[in-house]
Amino acid sequence: MRVLVAEDHGRLATAIAEGLRREGIAVDIAFDGADALRHVAVHRYDVVVLDRDLPQVHGDEVCRRMREERNNTRVLMLTAASTIRDRVEGLGIGADDYLTKPFDFEELVARVRALARRSTPALPPTLAHGDLTLDPARRTAVRGEIPLALSPKEFAVLEYLLGAEGRVVSAEELLEGVWDEAANPFTNTVKTTIGRLRAKLGEPPLIETVREGGYRI
Amino acid sequence: MRLTLFYTGLFLLLGTVLLAIVFVAASRGGAISVAVPAPVVHRELKLPGGIVINVPTGPQSIVTQQHNADLDRLLTISWIVLLATTAGAAVLGWFAAGRVLRPVREITSTARTISAGNLHERLALTGPNDEFKQLGDTLDDLLSRLEASFDAQRRFVANASHELRTPLTLERTLLQVALADPHANEETLRATCEELLLAQADQERLLEALLTLASSERGLERREPVDLAALAQGELRQLRPAIERRGLVLESALGPATTTGEAALIRRLIANLIDNAVDHNVDGGRIEIRTETVDLRASLTVSNTGPLIAPQDIERLFEPFQRLNGRRTADDRHHGLGLSIVRAIAVAHNAELNATPRPGGGLVVTVLF
Repeated sequence: MRVLVAEDHGRLATAIAEGLRREGIAVDIAFDGADALRHVAVHRYDVVVLDRDLPQVHGDEVCRRMREERNNTRVLMLTAASTIRDRVEGLGIGADDYLTKPFDFEELVARVRALARRSTPALPPTLAHGDLTLDPARRTAVRGEIPLALSPKEFAVLEYLLGAEGRVVSAEELLEGVWDEAANPFTNTVKTTIGRLRAKLGEPPLIETVREGGYRI
Repeated sequence: MRLTLFYTGLFLLLGTVLLAIVFVAASRGGAISVAVPAPVVHRELKLPGGIVINVPTGPQSIVTQQHNADLDRLLTISWIVLLATTAGAAVLGWFAAGRVLRPVREITSTARTISAGNLHERLALTGPNDEFKQLGDTLDDLLSRLEASFDAQRRFVANASHELRTPLTLERTLLQVALADPHANEETLRATCEELLLAQADQERLLEALLTLASSERGLERREPVDLAALAQGELRQLRPAIERRGLVLESALGPATTTGEAALIRRLIANLIDNAVDHNVDGGRIEIRTETVDLRASLTVSNTGPLIAPQDIERLFEPFQRLNGRRTADDRHHGLGLSIVRAIAVAHNAELNATPRPGGGLVVTVLF
């Protein structure tokens, strides 16, 4: 899962990003509205965590422009403006969810996950394939009766492949959906991670390599 | 009511005095000559020798009698007329007083309806510039001051509750993420605690700045003579290390410039202007500070080199929480309130504040007390 955090308070932005990364989510940060718009134009995000009070381009304007350009990335508005009218207005501008500051970090994570599930088609809270079950919220993966010890990136790749529901996923798509902008696209990161994942999944093999295409479960 | 009674009482008094004078003058004789054909009345006069003759009595006694009768009638009529006109005066006076005092009633009823909720209303009396209009205008001034005070307080509360939410969120996030970490150990927890302390020091500064802004907007508590040059010198001494750290060149021309005001606030104004000139400068740039007396008014000018500023952005700089490039950094000790505090202090002192961009980049700010 890949998320953009748009928040102008530097320390808060990095604290939120850190917390989300610990949950296995890839995070990019934008410190102002113009930067946020640039990010969403170039990358595909599952959720944008958007502070309303952004400099350069106001958060509301960012949301509005995204909707005008038919960018349906899920938006979770984050703000100190907490009256009912503020919430109604924010949702009316096109946000998918609204959290007021101060919030519980757990709740932020839960809502971000909930929004990410609502991609088309909508995904169930736990993903399964054969005897493999994956619970993204609890960060657990079980094959048969055996729990798997996966690293955050391995877990995220498995989650992505299961979410694709049999569709072929290219290495580039995995890079875009599971790593953040700091990742180097020219390394073998994806291949290496798939390799390790396969080893941990064991027999019978679940991940299929499709020639000239990518991977598939 | 009081006015009418007072007025009527005076009228009664004057009326009585008037009639008393007339009465006294009339009873002094000669004032009223009544030409009445006196009926001849005979009086029997007994002469010695037993002769009785009838002597007609003189017109004098008749005049006296008539005089007395006339005086009685005058008195009666006077009383009746006095009472009647007094009553008339009372009624007319009541109406007249009601009309003249209408502004006072207006003031009373308007004042009753004005409360904290609608302090923007004013009496706005029209009419000639007499005592009533002056009373109305003075009350309007009072309402303006009250409104400014209430507004400043309201803004402080709104700003504080809004602006403090973000630092609170930071603290909560840091704590929750640290606690949720399955690999948390003493080191990570210690690091989190130290970050929290930094965040809280920041928050404290924010609160301070908000309080200063609110108290600057409220107005001056006292006015004492101050010398801008002396105050500027004091602030420069304190801020010199910061100026040197950025490698800036300082030019100061501190001529005598005395005015009246609150020294602590003016010191803060000068400090904020210098801070702003240092923060928004380029390395190796210049700061110029000048105090002088222009047309008997004390003037302070602070100018600095720096990035180009568009004229339309100048106004925004003095609004709370607005920054030029927008980014909230930990370096901004003033939390975007530095220049708004400067403006509030200038307004409280009735000083003129002017800010223009420098052609080569940077800002020139002049405060004329």
